[in-house]
Amino acid sequence: MDRDLEHKFVTELEHNQNIVHRVCTLYTNDKDSHKDLFQEITIQLWKAYPKFRGESKFSTWMYRVALNTAITLYRKSKKNVPIQDYESVIFKISADEYDPTEEQQLKLMYDAVRELGDIDKALVFLYLEDKNYTEIAETLGISEVNARVKMNRIKNKLKTILNP
Amino acid sequence: MDELELLKRDWRKKGKDLPRLSFDEIYKMIWKKSSSIVKWIFIISVIEFLLPLLLYLLPSMAKSLAIWRDLGLGNFLLISNIVQYGVIFFFIFQFYRRYREISTLDNAKQLLVNILKTRRTVKYYVIFCLSLIFLSFLVMAMGIYLSDDPMAALGYSNKMQNISPENIKTTMIVTVMAIGVVTTLVMGFIYFLLYGLLLKKLNKNYKELKEMDM
Repeated sequence: MDRDLEHKFVTELEHNQNIVHRVCTLYTNDKDSHKDLFQEITIQLWKAYPKFRGESKFSTWMYRVALNTAITLYRKSKKNVPIQDYESVIFKISADEYDPTEEQQLKLMYDAVRELGDIDKALVFLYLEDKNYTEIAETLGISEVNARVKMNRIKNKLKTILNP
Repeated sequence: MDELELLKRDWRKKGKDLPRLSFDEIYKMIWKKSSSIVKWIFIISVIEFLLPLLLYLLPSMAKSLAIWRDLGLGNFLLISNIVQYGVIFFFIFQFYRRYREISTLDNAKQLLVNILKTRRTVKYYVIFCLSLIFLSFLVMAMGIYLSDDPMAALGYSNKMQNISPENIKTTMIVTVMAIGVVTTLVMGFIYFLLYGLLLKKLNKNYKELKEMDM
């Protein structure tokens, strides 16, 4: 591979790395695993990069490869680090907007999202990233109707958790 | 307010707090070796393809080939070898074709289907090899049954006077069959344990996606 391609790829990934970090925070429980998964996604993105023809945006293309890596290719490391030991930034509530009820609600919700299965997590992730149901359905390979049905079920589940 | 909207709002705010890697850090990563499940499936599958072939290279196996000949089973061995290599090449070709189909650019469901299909090819190959192993023990038992002097064929020249030839034959047949069953079961157990461990996550996620689409 020529150096131009490497340079172009790394620049694009550096620019869009938040997407990968967000996938990592959802799918891993500790810093080492986060790094491992980030690395694996980077390798898979790089392997697939020659096939990226620029028909879609680089970021759109990234979602697919990153989620596929998290759902199918990534092998969780054997180390069992309890979730409580690792407070990732994404699950921390900013101090400047402290609202006791809202904080409590968000914490409960993040915990609930973490408990979801790999596929449900992918659905929630794409939803949080503001993807529409067509995109969600295409990324996962299910029908749009079923993506909606499933998302509603997850919403209800979260509602029950918050209002027992 | 919709609970998820609350989460979404918070999610957006988190962007600035995420870790940030430099150009150089990312650049180094693209040269690291992948440790993906697909890679492990590939490595383990290749080992599984090679292992039965390597068995023939062991000296003890070469010795047992002579036993086959002495039992009058040379032809069976020749034919089964031709069939075996034919089938092995078919499996290797299938495996290679399926492996090439695996792409992270597919949707999640298609990707899972392709990986599971690739692995299934290896599963059938292993079932084929296990059957062949068991069959060869079975044929050997039959050879002993039909042979006039099975002890000589196995390389034991001194005759046991106080035991009737019939008893020796029965004992030998039972022993060969017992070894056959144990070998097949042990190899099968090891394989399916490995198979299960490798595909646990994939099967779970595939089931989840399939249920979603019903």
